[in-house]
Amino acid sequence: MRGSITSSAIIHAVLLGWGLLSFSAPAPMVADVESMPIDIVPVESISQAQQGDKKAPKVEKPAPKPTEKPQTLPEAQNLGDSDTDVATKPTPEPKPKPVEAAEAPKPSEMPVEKPEPEPEPEVKPEPKPVPVPATEMKPEPAPKQEVKPDPVAEAINEVKPEPAPAEETFKLPENVAMPEVKPTPPSQTAKTPDRKETPEKPKPTQTAAAPSKEKGIADEVAALLNDQKPAGGGAKRSTDTAALGTDKPSNGAKLSQSELDALKGAIQKCWNVPAGAEDAEGLKVTVKMKLTKEGEIEGAPEVSGSGNSPVQRAAIESARRAVMRCAPYSLPQDKYDTWSDVTVNFDPRDMF
Amino acid sequence: MENLAVAVQTSDTSLWGLFWQAGFIVKLVMVGLLGASIWTWAIIIDKALGFGRAKRAFDRFEQIFWSGQSLEELYRNLGDKRTTGMGSIFIAAMREWKKSFEKGARSPIALQMRIDKAMDVALARESDYLAARLTFLATIGSAGPFIGLFGTVIGIMTSFMAIAGSKSTSLAVVAPGIAEALLATAIGLVAAIPAVIAYNKLSSDAGKLTARMEGFADEFSAILSRQIDEKLPRT
Repeated sequence: MRGSITSSAIIHAVLLGWGLLSFSAPAPMVADVESMPIDIVPVESISQAQQGDKKAPKVEKPAPKPTEKPQTLPEAQNLGDSDTDVATKPTPEPKPKPVEAAEAPKPSEMPVEKPEPEPEPEVKPEPKPVPVPATEMKPEPAPKQEVKPDPVAEAINEVKPEPAPAEETFKLPENVAMPEVKPTPPSQTAKTPDRKETPEKPKPTQTAAAPSKEKGIADEVAALLNDQKPAGGGAKRSTDTAALGTDKPSNGAKLSQSELDALKGAIQKCWNVPAGAEDAEGLKVTVKMKLTKEGEIEGAPEVSGSGNSPVQRAAIESARRAVMRCAPYSLPQDKYDTWSDVTVNFDPRDMF
Repeated sequence: MENLAVAVQTSDTSLWGLFWQAGFIVKLVMVGLLGASIWTWAIIIDKALGFGRAKRAFDRFEQIFWSGQSLEELYRNLGDKRTTGMGSIFIAAMREWKKSFEKGARSPIALQMRIDKAMDVALARESDYLAARLTFLATIGSAGPFIGLFGTVIGIMTSFMAIAGSKSTSLAVVAPGIAEALLATAIGLVAAIPAVIAYNKLSSDAGKLTARMEGFADEFSAILSRQIDEKLPRT
């Protein structure tokens, strides 16, 4: 028996030794899971489209709208074909007007010959396509206001029947016409030679005299008048193709969800929910406030809430206090437009 | 992730590490089961060798017994030796036979009964000797898994209490305690499985040997009965 005990003990010792060696360090299990890369991207870059053409192809460098003319103003901010930096959008120019305006000067040049206009238009259309009407219209008001309506063909018809202008025009039919023509020469040198061809020499002298008398007033008025063509906003030139985008730009200025949540959380922290309010159904308080750029409340916040119960009044007061207590709100300065006016809805039920 | 790595590094997953980290009760259970396993295997080895020896001795004895040698001679040869099994049965019967004849037994029936009793006693002693300690194998075979399970339950209980204390549900925190607790069940099974198998084998072997001795005792009883009839004078 002793021998068998010792042999058994030896066998166990051997087996345990083998077990200690073989079981000593099972290789740690490695989780066979691939890591998933997650990029956190601000949503605005996707959801806020730039101004551009909806059907345009995607390009590296976006441009709101291609322009035809070369850049003339170096520091222009707004895009467009205008010579001045204007933010207004270009409006299409009425086409028929230039043609009628082109006719207008002819009768003035030759008041006696009414039927003639037909032959002359053939010659003149080329030099006076667009700019004539604009430049011609302004000088008219300066000397006499009655002439204002003439801008177009109406002028020709109206001038004669009208009694008041008739007196003046009868004296010197050319005089009336001349002021209209006069201002044009400075802007359009091409027209003047045409008129000079027509044998009417007194005109220049008379017209020269007329403006000289009232020159100061005329200049003042002209200066006051908006010389700007209503059409064609902006002066910045862009030759790139229009970018993919929407018609209306959204500026990219919008509070992100995290910023909204931060604001919400800040107000929530300052809000002591009045006792009993959590039970009241539909106990909603809306606070409208204006914020300064520093995040301070401008004026008094406008608190609105329905009901006149003590609980309701307490809720309104607590909301007002919460908003006031949190007062300097830290919000991104560059998005001030979006948070200059803040409306906060207090709903006690959301707090529990 | 860092926590997990640290936990994995600090917990020793080797067998010795698992044993050493276990609680006192679990350690006790594991040590006891290890001792039981050693004792089980000692019994198994002892019995296997002893049964082999007994079987060979029976074969040799039967060979000698049926070789036509006279009973007196055989008794004289075996008398001074230490005998087991069939030999001891033979010796016990022959001793009774001799005593009865030397003192002049009168009744053959009484002599026959005495010889049978002597052989029964020897047979019981021998079969007891064969089956000795087999009950321990049976006990370990049936109770070993339960003892191991007890250790496991205690170990898992303590490790869960530790987890509740650490407030972490990470698998790296749970795993070492469970592993060390399961070691107790493993040791219990290691001890119990051979014990069960060996018990079944050895008890059937012991039964066979005992049956063989009973058969020899019956045969020898018949031979002696014949001899008594022949030797005792008819009255």
